Amino acid sequence: MSVAFGVIRDRQDQLFLHLEQTYPSHRVLRDKIEEPILWLRSPDELVPMIEALRREPATQFDRLSDITAYDNIDHVDGPKRLIVVYQLYSLQHHTRLRLKIAIDQDESVPTLTVVWGAANWLEREVFDMFGIRFAGHPDLRRILMDERFVGHPLLKEYELEARQPFSDSLPVRIATGFESPEESH
Amino acid sequence: MGKDGSASYIPTRLDYAVKWAQKNSLWPMPFGTSCCGIELMSTLSGTYDLSRFGSEVVRFSPRQADLLLVAGTITTKMSPVLRQIYDQMLEPKWVIAMGACSSSGGIFNTYSVLQGIDEIMPVDIYVPGCPPIPEGLIYSILRLQEIVEKGLPRKQMHKLTREEARNAMNFRQAIGESLFESGETGATPSGPAEIKGETR
Repeated sequence: MSVAFGVIRDRQDQLFLHLEQTYPSHRVLRDKIEEPILWLRSPDELVPMIEALRREPATQFDRLSDITAYDNIDHVDGPKRLIVVYQLYSLQHHTRLRLKIAIDQDESVPTLTVVWGAANWLEREVFDMFGIRFAGHPDLRRILMDERFVGHPLLKEYELEARQPFSDSLPVRIATGFESPEESH
Repeated sequence: MGKDGSASYIPTRLDYAVKWAQKNSLWPMPFGTSCCGIELMSTLSGTYDLSRFGSEVVRFSPRQADLLLVAGTITTKMSPVLRQIYDQMLEPKWVIAMGACSSSGGIFNTYSVLQGIDEIMPVDIYVPGCPPIPEGLIYSILRLQEIVEKGLPRKQMHKLTREEARNAMNFRQAIGESLFESGETGATPSGPAEIKGETR
């Protein structure tokens, strides 16, 4: 289904207004390409917020595009060290939304695997690169780096050229005890 | 065989015959991990047709290959796998490092990328380029045939220090005139496909 670009831009504007009215106590911003950014106040409200955004007919964010994070070491975005970013997409409205949560390094974020099974590997990647713990994740271990790797390479204090070569590779381990979201719902 | 059907012979030395056979049947084991692999495929397929030089039989088993063609970025996690493939190949075996990444790590001087496959295995020829053009790879195969034929020794690549790399304009002074002027072939690298392995 193809929708004209101007139509999608109008929908993004409507979405922005809707978010501002629905969540008046949250910061809602827009980036350079006019995509809305919704800042959450604490990690605890993540899962209820996402389930509401997914359920409501005005938003219907039914697809998780990406989970990533960045190191807020220069404190451009507040006093907390790490920002977790959730990129959502609505297959119904063809609109996008970015959710951001600021956390400290000793804090954890609730897992989204209860909502989307796709969050499993995305959260493993964020854990691997930044050391962010996702509470309730069924199999939180490194996905890109070797499991013997020490440190988290995308944190700014990790030295760029600090390579950790290993003389052998570990066998692949399949996760055990993982339930798909449909069964747990 | 003569024209009248009688058997005839070409007298030759056995080691010469073996080297002639080896150099004209360099069966490659491709190890394409990124965009160099695309150029490698192009080299192998119809337009450039590597089979003209005896390398047409691509072996996906290292036990049947003579030549390991490493085309692409090798991460530190992949390096034990590559080393195992090299160990599984039977002697005699040769290695071509195709492209900047497998030669030196390329632009990826990061926490996860091996800085050249010569850290884990001996390399006969380095093909510069990002990625190298198919002609460059064909030229490197021709150079490798010369190495096989003449039995030339394998020499270490001069790795630039940080200071030398920073001052790339004085590259020739930094690595010394000897590298350019001496060598068995006596050739100064020239032309578009400049092979580092030849400047011994």
